[in-house]
Amino acid sequence: MPGETHNGMQCSEFEALLFDALDNQLTGAKQERFRAHARVCAKCGPMFAEAEAGQHWLKSLVEVEPPANLVNDILAATSGIPSYRLHEIVASVHQPSFGERIREWADSLLTPVWSTVRQPRFAMSFGMAFFSLSVALSVAGVKPTDIKQADLSRSGLRRTYYTTQARVVKYYENIRLVVEIESKVQEIKKVAQPARTNEERERDRNHKNNTSGEPEPRQERNYSRDENQPALASVPECGPAVSVTTNRRLV
Amino acid sequence: MEDAQIVNSLVRRCIAGDAVAWEEIVQRYNRRIYNICYRFAGSSDDAQDLTQEVFIKMYRTLSSYDVERGAFMTWVTTMTRNLLVDHFRKTKQDRLTDSIDATASEHEDSMPLSDQIPDKGPAPDTKVQSRETGKVVHEALQKLSPELREAVILRDLQDMDYRDIAAVLRVPEGTVKSRINRGRAELARLLQRIYRQVM
Repeated sequence: MPGETHNGMQCSEFEALLFDALDNQLTGAKQERFRAHARVCAKCGPMFAEAEAGQHWLKSLVEVEPPANLVNDILAATSGIPSYRLHEIVASVHQPSFGERIREWADSLLTPVWSTVRQPRFAMSFGMAFFSLSVALSVAGVKPTDIKQADLSRSGLRRTYYTTQARVVKYYENIRLVVEIESKVQEIKKVAQPARTNEERERDRNHKNNTSGEPEPRQERNYSRDENQPALASVPECGPAVSVTTNRRLV
Repeated sequence: MEDAQIVNSLVRRCIAGDAVAWEEIVQRYNRRIYNICYRFAGSSDDAQDLTQEVFIKMYRTLSSYDVERGAFMTWVTTMTRNLLVDHFRKTKQDRLTDSIDATASEHEDSMPLSDQIPDKGPAPDTKVQSRETGKVVHEALQKLSPELREAVILRDLQDMDYRDIAAVLRVPEGTVKSRINRGRAELARLLQRIYRQVM
């Protein structure tokens, strides 16, 4: 009953001390009187027991872990700026070494290439290209042993470069010489050509005017003569009149 | 520098537009607010949405926070509690009334409260240490009326003192104590029934 006194404590006083008791604030004689009242009072005893049990159950609840994305979601919904701390934590937790950075860079570079290379279509194309190259090399007479014996040292490579360069220059100069000789020959031909053509033109004219019906006198032709022959070949057939003087009449 | 000074400095920086300070505030309080929301709303999805809502509202109204009027924690908790009450009203979750006895008598003929809370574990003594216990207590907590639930959450789970709880709930300290006491007792009775049935 309210206001009832047990062990020198009224129920109203018990209720007032209830929270101090549950919060472990009661000490000494006061605590003793409180406990004694709870033991004998039919109303306050169960009330205290229930409150204590409820508190115990509630205290047994552990703090739950928020979802991992909660902070980022909140930041995205409010400031719209991603987590600085997250970036800092990630950066501080793992500082990649120089080698790792190189490897990462190489991976980022090679991964797309490697993924392409691994495709069967690329492998087929590469196989065909290799086959064609090997056939071309074997036809050209290049042997792998020659490549193996090649001097790949720095000085060797320099020597090879200069030798090749000299060979190319020499080849070019040879071509130039041939071209110059050919042009000289052409010039000589051009010089010799007008005399011959005038002769031929004259002969053609005579041939057209001949209406006698007599067969054309046989002409001696030099079939070995062609356009490329030098000027000697174009000497007129009739040639200069050779005067033979005899002394028979005078005898 | 004391914690309150650090928080006030963070708030000032945040109002000035410092995004890092805002993130610091989010990092400091997200766990606490999430736990209040989870224990009050009951599900982690609702708790996540409500926590986000609290921070959105906080971000918008941070400039209205007055250091002289109370601790930042009290301000944040009040905001959280108000949003939770709004959420409760919107979702029309009809919980038990303040008196477990009255509710029990109403439903005793149909379905006892202990039946509404699933219990699949072994003996109660073993359960105390197990996760199942936490689940059962959490579910029993949802059966309390919102007034009692918020009071015991703030006191027994968030360790707030009675004065701050009174400030958050905008009720006298005596009312706070009364609600806490009733909340604890009701929870104990609910759980006793559950375990009595299991035994």
